[in-house]
Amino acid sequence: MKPQRFNSFKNFLLHVHDFSSLLVEIIKNLPTVRKNHKETLKEMYVIGTQALLLAMLGGLFSGVILAIESGHSVEQFGATMLISRTVSLGIIRELGPAVCGLLLASRTGAKNTSEIGAMQLSEQIDALKAYGINPVEKLVVPRVVAAVLMFMPLTLIADATGIIGGMFVTTSTFHVDLVYFWTTAIKVLKFKDLFVGTLKPIFFSFFIGALSCYFGLNTKGSTTNLGKNAISSVVISAVTVLILDFVFTKVIWEIM
Amino acid sequence: MIELKNVTLTIDNREILKNVSLSINKGTSTVILGPSGAGKSTILKAILGLIEINSGEVLINGANIFSLKNDELLRIRRKIAMVFQANALFDSLNVEDNVAYFLAYNSKLTSKQIKDRVDEVLSFVNLEGTQDLFPDQLSGGMKKRLAIARALATDPEIILFDEPTTGLDPINSKAVLDLINRLKAAGTTSVIVTHILNDAISIGDVLTVINDGQIVASGSVKEMLQSKNKFVKDFFYEIFQDITLIQTT
Ligand SMILES: Nc1ncnc2c1ncn2[C@@H]1O[C@H](COP(=O)(O)OP(=O)(O)O)[C@@H](O)[C@H]1O
Ligand SMILES: [Mg+2]
Repeated sequence: MKPQRFNSFKNFLLHVHDFSSLLVEIIKNLPTVRKNHKETLKEMYVIGTQALLLAMLGGLFSGVILAIESGHSVEQFGATMLISRTVSLGIIRELGPAVCGLLLASRTGAKNTSEIGAMQLSEQIDALKAYGINPVEKLVVPRVVAAVLMFMPLTLIADATGIIGGMFVTTSTFHVDLVYFWTTAIKVLKFKDLFVGTLKPIFFSFFIGALSCYFGLNTKGSTTNLGKNAISSVVISAVTVLILDFVFTKVIWEIM
Repeated sequence: MIELKNVTLTIDNREILKNVSLSINKGTSTVILGPSGAGKSTILKAILGLIEINSGEVLINGANIFSLKNDELLRIRRKIAMVFQANALFDSLNVEDNVAYFLAYNSKLTSKQIKDRVDEVLSFVNLEGTQDLFPDQLSGGMKKRLAIARALATDPEIILFDEPTTGLDPINSKAVLDLINRLKAAGTTSVIVTHILNDAISIGDVLTVINDGQIVASGSVKEMLQSKNKFVKDFFYEIFQDITLIQTT
């Protein structure tokens, strides 16, 4: 078996081509999600139960760190009133979605790749195909849809815990009034910020879901390759989240 | 009823199948025999249409599966079942749901009818009472029999077996071979891929010997034993040894 790495540019292009075909097939098969609602609900449940605590922790620490860092740099100018602004905007627009995206890329990404990869190695995928069942319809679409549906609420929960964490630091360490913190934290948010903050997780999760399933379906040969593919899946999903995050931020600043 | 005509398959500039022609008649059991890496599993995958061949034809009941429309291909595929080498059991489902999986898919059967059919095939393979167990709670031999039960559930005309006894102890191997013989008696067409000579001789009506992607010889057990072909002779040497042993003792 040849090593499943991006060992040449041609190999990389082949992966891009195959992944694009998978994306097309996912989109074509989206309507089948109703038929496979049982699988989809199961995946949603798994993501919800396994990633909720992770999302809350990620959000909480992002908010706390953001408040400490920005607090110390504005404190010397006596501008601690600005902390709530920074925390609120920073979490909703950037840190909430990005931190959640990275956590989901590892948690859900590794799960999808190893599950589907193991099914590939034990010929379960071939068994489905042999009976005329499309694995994209049965395995991939439910996972992608579940990720997209669950990830936005998870991000909003992470945002909320993040701002609450920031609040504790801001009111206790920098002695900002609690009511002032909340009124500015909420008032500073414009439609644009909430829009970006909710749109990002939808795109992140779509790509994380699709990439992790792609690497699972592409597992060939031995269990060593399964391990390698799980690593590739997590790394490439994480990098994709960061790139998409940059593209979003750039494009939104340009057009809105 | 299954016919391969000059099938050629190349992957990454390597010829995996070279001009393979093969015909499998209704109600017979054909054994494809050869060393590992010869292309045996690939032939089964070509029959199922799981891989696209580069040239040649795969005909099932006279229809070329690579030129069929999707729904026609599906109809033909449903007549063929495969028992995979790694069993391909769904490990998140229990025994009953594994057997019911394809049976329940797009079918008009009631849940009572499905349950009855599941019980029937489970008892055929001597797995009564295991309905609620999960695949990882079963022994190797039981897993294989479960895989056979799942293949039987939809009442296929043709069953393809990929190395059905590889990795099993002699007792479990014999149980699997007995099952295959009982299926033949019931009129099922089987194609069995194996590298185990004894198994091939005990279940095959026709043996097809393959090496390095090429069919080397094909015929009855007797014809194979009389073959002058060097590779066939090498492959059957254990048998000749056994025969000599019996004659000299
Ligand atoms: N998808 C694939 N990609 C590359 N090589 C393959 C693939 N499938 C099979 N092969 C190669 O084709 C040859 C025949 O494989 P296979 O049919 O599995 O052999 P057998 O079942 O007789 O042991 C082997 O050398 C194997 O490495
Ligand atoms: Mg094989």
